[in-house]
Amino acid sequence: MPRHELILLKNMSEPGYTGSLVDYEKTGGYQALRKTLGKIAPADVTAMVRKSGLRGRGGAGFPTGVKWGFLPKDYQGPRYLCCNADESEPGTFKDRQLMERDPHQVLEGIVLSCYAIGAETAFIYIRGEMVLGSKILEHAIAEARAAGYIGKNILGTGLHADVWVHRGAGAYICGEETALLESLEGKRGLPRTKPPFPATHGLYNKPTVVNNVETLANLPHIMSRGPEWFAAIGSPPKSTGTRVFCVSGHVKRPGNYEVPMGVTVRELVYEHAGGMRSDKPIKAFIPGGASAPFLTPAHLDVKLDFESVAAAGSMLGSGGVTVMEEGTSMVWAALRLMEFFYHESCGKCSPCREGSAWLVQTMRRILAKRGRMEDLETLLDLCKNIAGRTICAFGDAEVAPIQSTLKYWRQEYVDLVNEAEAANLIRLEPAGRP
Amino acid sequence: MPESTTPTVRLTIDGITVKVPKGTLVIEAARRIGVMIPHFCYHPKLKPDANCRMCLVEIEKMPKLQTACSTPVDEGMSVRTATTVVNDAHRSVLEFILANHPLDCPVCDQGGKCDLQDFSHQYTATSRFVETKRIFQKEYFSPLIETQMNRCVQCLRCVRYCDEVMDVKALAPVGRGTMTEIKHFGPHPLNCEFCGGCVQICPVGAITSRLSMYEYRPWMLKRADTICGYCGDGCQMTVQTKDQELIEVNSAHGAGRNNGDLCARGFFGFHAASHPDRLTHPLIRRNGALVQTTWEEALEYVANRVSELKDMHGGQGFGGLISGRCTNEELYVFQKFMRGAIGTNNIDSSARYGHVNSLHAMRLVQGTHRWTVTFDDVLDADVLVLVGTNITETNPITGLKVKEAVKKRRATLITIESLEPVIDTMSNIANLSHHHFRIPPSEMQNGILGLLKAVIEENLILPDISQRYPAYVKAVTTALRAFSWQDLHRATGIEPDSFIQAAKVLAAGRRVIVLTGQVLLRSERGYAGSLTLLDLLMLTGKLDQPGCGFAPLAEENNDQGAVEMGAIAEFLPGACFADNAADRERFMHLWKRDLPLTVGASLVDMLHRAQAGSLKAMFIVGENPVASLPAQIRAEDSLRKLDLLVCQELFLTETAALAHVVLPAASSMEKNGTFTNTEGHVQAVRPSIEPIGESRPDWEVFAALSILLGMPMEYAESKDILKEIRGAISGYTSLGPTPLPPKVDRTAMDRYLSQGYQPDLTTRYRLIAPQSRPDGTLQMGFGQSLFHSGKLSTRSKGLLQLEGNGRLRINPVDAARFALMDGDRVRLCSTSGEMTTEIKIMERVPQGTAWFPDHFGQAAVGLFECAIDPITHVPSFRTATVSMMKVA
Repeated sequence: MPRHELILLKNMSEPGYTGSLVDYEKTGGYQALRKTLGKIAPADVTAMVRKSGLRGRGGAGFPTGVKWGFLPKDYQGPRYLCCNADESEPGTFKDRQLMERDPHQVLEGIVLSCYAIGAETAFIYIRGEMVLGSKILEHAIAEARAAGYIGKNILGTGLHADVWVHRGAGAYICGEETALLESLEGKRGLPRTKPPFPATHGLYNKPTVVNNVETLANLPHIMSRGPEWFAAIGSPPKSTGTRVFCVSGHVKRPGNYEVPMGVTVRELVYEHAGGMRSDKPIKAFIPGGASAPFLTPAHLDVKLDFESVAAAGSMLGSGGVTVMEEGTSMVWAALRLMEFFYHESCGKCSPCREGSAWLVQTMRRILAKRGRMEDLETLLDLCKNIAGRTICAFGDAEVAPIQSTLKYWRQEYVDLVNEAEAANLIRLEPAGRP
Repeated sequence: MPESTTPTVRLTIDGITVKVPKGTLVIEAARRIGVMIPHFCYHPKLKPDANCRMCLVEIEKMPKLQTACSTPVDEGMSVRTATTVVNDAHRSVLEFILANHPLDCPVCDQGGKCDLQDFSHQYTATSRFVETKRIFQKEYFSPLIETQMNRCVQCLRCVRYCDEVMDVKALAPVGRGTMTEIKHFGPHPLNCEFCGGCVQICPVGAITSRLSMYEYRPWMLKRADTICGYCGDGCQMTVQTKDQELIEVNSAHGAGRNNGDLCARGFFGFHAASHPDRLTHPLIRRNGALVQTTWEEALEYVANRVSELKDMHGGQGFGGLISGRCTNEELYVFQKFMRGAIGTNNIDSSARYGHVNSLHAMRLVQGTHRWTVTFDDVLDADVLVLVGTNITETNPITGLKVKEAVKKRRATLITIESLEPVIDTMSNIANLSHHHFRIPPSEMQNGILGLLKAVIEENLILPDISQRYPAYVKAVTTALRAFSWQDLHRATGIEPDSFIQAAKVLAAGRRVIVLTGQVLLRSERGYAGSLTLLDLLMLTGKLDQPGCGFAPLAEENNDQGAVEMGAIAEFLPGACFADNAADRERFMHLWKRDLPLTVGASLVDMLHRAQAGSLKAMFIVGENPVASLPAQIRAEDSLRKLDLLVCQELFLTETAALAHVVLPAASSMEKNGTFTNTEGHVQAVRPSIEPIGESRPDWEVFAALSILLGMPMEYAESKDILKEIRGAISGYTSLGPTPLPPKVDRTAMDRYLSQGYQPDLTTRYRLIAPQSRPDGTLQMGFGQSLFHSGKLSTRSKGLLQLEGNGRLRINPVDAARFALMDGDRVRLCSTSGEMTTEIKIMERVPQGTAWFPDHFGQAAVGLFECAIDPITHVPSFRTATVSMMKVA
């Protein structure tokens, strides 16, 4: 097994590390904060982060420093930082571990980010189900506040940054940044129309940055070891640093593995996750959470960085790698994900609301061997009509499983339809003109 | 605001170049050149939500299709709305929207005026949907509004309207994804303001009116654009009828002064006109009973009796009372008849109940009797002051202007109201207020004095005023220093700093409008309060500034018109004082008649004279003093003493039941004419049905009587009267869309500031000592409910379903103190009388106060004592201290 240097998971990999403030300080915790606050100008912090090449770890992979740069420079009044901890993507469980096992690493990142963007208030919007994580964070915030790392007049610099934990109420869509802001404001969590973007009109209509937990956790390391160090890790120049990949599915040892950007799925599965659970060959995998299209064994040597995965027709997304072995029904797998998207479609825009219900019903019918050959074209057409026509990226995400399975494993669909036709179950006729 | 200062941008839409103001949305720019982009969720009144995705268009240099409803125009933008890609997108979105739609068009009330139907037709939409449709269980929603959620396209227009425009927030989407349906809060039928906005704004048949359910197809209906006959806001509405039947009322977006918004009274209250109790034939008293007769007989009887009584007692033996619900033409002919044919100034109208207080104050201070601002100025104001308006319930559409100014245009709102700022089922203006002063109804004046004192103490007086009118400023200052901040704090319970903060905002405002309404105007200090509010504007230098002004809200639809037509003792038409020789001369010449010199008696005076026996005959048109005035006035007793009482009425009211002759009048749904709304805008009233039975417009009765009396007023139709009005007074020359308000008359202002302010200055600047109430009593007020207007609306079946009987509104804390639950019966006793009623618990009613809707007030009038303003003769009887006791 090739040894890669651990950065984010390093502390928690040490035996006996509890994640308390004392433990964190022993490993050099909050030194980056001491080094930065009041000593490096906020604009320079942003420039350093931009130079490090750090990109968002939530899914979209937008360069963090650039995002910070969008905030209006001369705005008088409050700005906000929101830490997106609403980790709900099927197959993704890295943020949870980062928060539960090493909360101060995240908090230090939050305070650094607040400093860079000039925010005095940060909200951690944590998924409602992560009760433990929220308790741990609240305890850690209390510790850090008592030690002067959070709150008023941090480390005597005269700078303020208060951090609050807000638990969501169980909607996947609240991980979408504008829906998160709506929910945080106490409204129904529905995505907002963009523009305007949160950078100018965010929480309570104030300039706001929304960053993922893992993104923020990287900041202390960038500040203490320098952007050049970070930019050299992974596959520079565009995908720098490490990624915590959440490997799940039919592997022997599912879990979080931190590796530099650019390793292959083959290495992840066979050298870190212990290979396939029944030693069957890999049939399919998702490289970046449920929203990323399926890939095939032919893509096992694609480098896991933003550009290479995109070039292969999928996306690196949230880093949730779900692996399926030979024998898995891909129609079933696609339906399983489709059921999730149907359940979570917020219902704000028509194509996604109506489309997800339609797709899931057609898929159920095909799997129940009541499909027709024209359904396959309808599925593809509906996918095309949803993608790109919705307010948020949910529409693009929900069509990924069907589009990619129909692309690579169309025969499985055809076989099911043929079986249906052979069984001569009820014929369905389209309604025609309404 | 002047449009010339807004920068414009040029863009092309489908190859056509168009220039629009910066910030315009693509969908609006397209509409300007006649390109209609299909949409469901977009509405010009609402913030774009872009949820239906129907309005996708191609915009050059943008990779994806964009929603035209949420994209602002940009210089040089090139938009395509009819390419294959766009058409395919529209068709596909339509296919999605239709997927779960029940296609129950044959039984849908929206059929024929449904956006979904129209677009389906336009795009010859077909559906490949063969799955199971989602079905929502049918649920009972409310007595007047029906929902059919299977038809809903989830555009959320209703929810957004309810929140953004009405500030009610009664509706919300519930559930997620395709299971999203529109619901209200709580395990009971909907209990909101029932403005009908959700019904009007729904693009499909998901929310409809139960009053007209299953009754018609749109193309079967005849439409008439007319003006609502309830409050002074003067909303334009379209009455839709099938033959003689009133089916539905709505108001098109952009229509009238209300811009298409209506309230419960306008939207659901139209059935009063077709109530089965309408009088259809003239009635005459024979052997003590009223029996049916013919118009000929009734009119001849009246004419003969009038001649006899006039010969015996002269014109001064007569009196006339007319309702502010009549048209201008009727009011004009009425007063011309009384003055010219009968020869008396004993004339009064319902404006006397309060509106007159503000008009006299305006006449004195600024020389006009109209607003110097319009609704548009209210929208543009940067500081709005509301004093005793209870605006949501009395003048809901003016209320919408205030809400828009505050919510969308960031005006600062100062309120002196008897309201607690709490959220409940109706909008509450106190919730939007930046500086709220909670003052009991009888003590409104103390709140005004607080602001004035802050102006004096903080030296916020316009220096110019101090220099030019030192005596005035000194007099006011002295009067305001007669009490201390501590006295004011003791009287109101409000810290001086609150007044100071509000006064500073007011003084710094550039466009300041003070709105006041019934709670102040119908109180004992109605006139004094109006004057002090005008002083407030004067001292801060706002009164004569453009966009600033004093705006009293009229209670009845044509109270303003009643005064302007001269249907009031002291005024000739045009609000000229009846004792002004030049004006009398002018009208004598115009009417070719002698006009009486004797000063006219007002409402209560007339009744007193009848009681004393010096007034022998009365014409009462649409008024019901027996049920409206407190028992102390003994209206019934007085009217019984008359030798002749002629009533023109829609219904056999308590007053009409005493008459010698009752003549059936046509309602405003049945006649032509004009109404003048509270801002002085004259608007056309058009008939939507034929007069019920043999009823006739009131002016015809007086025209006929005048012929029988040998002093003919010849008018063929109401237009002829309007023509005469136009010749006689200003402000009635055109029925144009935008009224130009009069300006403050500088000479009048000068006169006021030099000496006009002097009479009773110290009286009106005296603090009202808070009434000490014994424990176990409440200060009870008489007020207007949102669901009724006067007593007319209590004949409307729709509104009766919302509020069918009068219930005393009290605060939950008081209810708990008396161990009362919603709906419990209580007996109320005051020094004057007692009554029994049910209670309704409302959190917005401040502790220690209670109010009862005056629409059901026959029993309640006995509780009140009446005070008459010595200057304006307004009878005030709106508050009383009552003890309360629970009864079985």
